[in-house]
Amino acid sequence: MSHRHSIFCIIPPHMLKEIAQRGSPVQRSLALRTIATSGQIRSQRTAWQAGIAVMAATASAGNKQRAIYDARQGSQLPGTLVRSEGDAPATDIAVNEAYDGAGVTFDLYYGVYGRNSIDNNGLKLNSTVHYQKSYDNAFWDGGQMVYGDGDEDLPPAQRLFNRFTISIDVIGHELTHGVTQYEANLNYSNQPGALNESFSDVFGSLVKQYQLQQTADQADWLIGQGLLTANVNGVGLRSMKAPGTAYNDPVLGRDPQPDSMSGYVTTTEDNGGVHINSGIPNRAFYTTAVEIGGFAWQKAGLIWYKTLSEKLNTNSNFQNAADLTFQTAGEIYGVGSLEQNAVAKGWQAVGITVNASGGIPTPQPQPQPGPGCLTAVLRIFGLAR
Amino acid sequence: MTRITFQRSGGFTGRTISLTLNLDDLPPDQASTLNGLLTNANFFNLPADSAKRPVPDEFTYTVTVETGQQSHTIRTSDTSAPESLRPLLDDLSLRARTQRA
Ligand SMILES: [Zn+2]
Repeated sequence: MSHRHSIFCIIPPHMLKEIAQRGSPVQRSLALRTIATSGQIRSQRTAWQAGIAVMAATASAGNKQRAIYDARQGSQLPGTLVRSEGDAPATDIAVNEAYDGAGVTFDLYYGVYGRNSIDNNGLKLNSTVHYQKSYDNAFWDGGQMVYGDGDEDLPPAQRLFNRFTISIDVIGHELTHGVTQYEANLNYSNQPGALNESFSDVFGSLVKQYQLQQTADQADWLIGQGLLTANVNGVGLRSMKAPGTAYNDPVLGRDPQPDSMSGYVTTTEDNGGVHINSGIPNRAFYTTAVEIGGFAWQKAGLIWYKTLSEKLNTNSNFQNAADLTFQTAGEIYGVGSLEQNAVAKGWQAVGITVNASGGIPTPQPQPQPGPGCLTAVLRIFGLAR
Repeated sequence: MTRITFQRSGGFTGRTISLTLNLDDLPPDQASTLNGLLTNANFFNLPADSAKRPVPDEFTYTVTVETGQQSHTIRTSDTSAPESLRPLLDDLSLRARTQRA
C-alpha cells in the first residue's frame, strides 16, 4: 500500500462501480484525478482500468429528459406538451417549477446515489400541471407526476392551498414514489404504505436540502412549506422533525401525525393512514440524520436509499425498515460505527428497537479488500471518516 | 327526498373531508344543479368500485345517494372516475373543503 495515499489498493470493479455511482460529480472527478496521478496505476493496471472504465461510463450515463404537459384544468393525462428538455423557461410559473424541481430531484438521485432517473435506466420524467379545477393535490399515477393548482382559482379569502409545484419537496416526493415503485415496491396500505410515504417525504426533503445546500441542523424538515396560504394557521403539511405540529387550523383541523409508535393510528381511511403514520419513520430518519450531522443526503440518505433499493420488499413493515437500515449502516460504515449507532437511536426515538442481528453483514462470495482499503475509498468519496 | 353523502380521502395531505346534503334543504337552483349532475353521471348505474389498485397520493371518493326509492354507493378515484361523474365530484369536493370543521 502507498504511504502517500491509502486508496492505492486493489478494489474489485463491482465495488468501484458502486462507489462511482454514489459519488457526486466533484467526488467522481476527484477520484479520477487521484487515480490518474497514482504511481501504482501501472502495477495495478488491470484492476484500475476496469474501475476507470466503469467510472467514465457512469459519468456520461446520466440521461435527464424532462417534459411538462398542461392539462388545462381537465383530467386527461398527460395533456398538451408545453416544455421539453432544454427548452427556454415558459411564462407559466407552474411549468417552470415542475421542470426545475424534477431537474434537482434527478440531480440528487444521479449525482449522489448514481441512480439514472426513476427506473435507473433514464426514464423520461413526465409531469402534468393544471390538473383539474381547484385541485388541492399532487400524485404519481404510476408513470408520471401530476400537479393541481390548489385553490389559486378561488377567491383569495377562500384559498387554503397554493399550487402544488410551489414546494420542491412535493416534487421530490412524487418522483420518489416512482423510484419506490421500481425498487421495494412497498404496498400502498398500512405499514408498508406508510413506509412508502415516508421514503417519499425523506427524499423530498433531501431534494430541498440538496438544492439549498443545507446541513441537517439547518434544514426545516417540513413537507409542503409554502403550500398553505396565509389563511391557514400552519407552516406546512408535515414536519419530519416534530410530526403533529405542522398546522392547527379551524378549517384544515390539526396535523394528525403521531411522532412515535405509541401514537400509531389504526384507520381504514387513507389506505390505512399512510399519510398519518409516515410521521413515525419520518422522525426516525430526521433523528438519524441530525445524530450523524452534516449533509443529510450523504450518509443518512445513502443508508435509506440502499435499504429501499436493495433490501425492502412489498410487505416490509416499520420493524423491517429499522432492522435493515441498521444492517445497511453496518455494511457501509462498519458494525458499531457512529452512523450505525445513529440509525439505532433514530428508531429508538420513535419507540422501535432495532434487531441487532441486522448488523451482521451478509457474507459475500467475492474476495473482499481489507477493511482499511474500503474505508480509505469511502473517505475519498466523503462517505466515511 | 334525496340525500347525498360524500367522502374524499387520501391525497398528499391525507386529510379526509366529508359532507352530507339533503337536497330538499338546499336553495332550489342548487338542488336542481345537483340533480342534473346525478342524472348526467347516470349515477345509479355506475359500478360500485371503479378504483383500481391504490395510486400514491390520489384522492379516493365515496358517494352514496339515497332517494325514497333507491340507494347506491360508489367508490372511485382521480385516475379511475368516469368523465361523466367528474362534475359531480368537483361540486361536492368544493362544498366539502370550504366548510368549517
Ligand atoms: Zn405520497
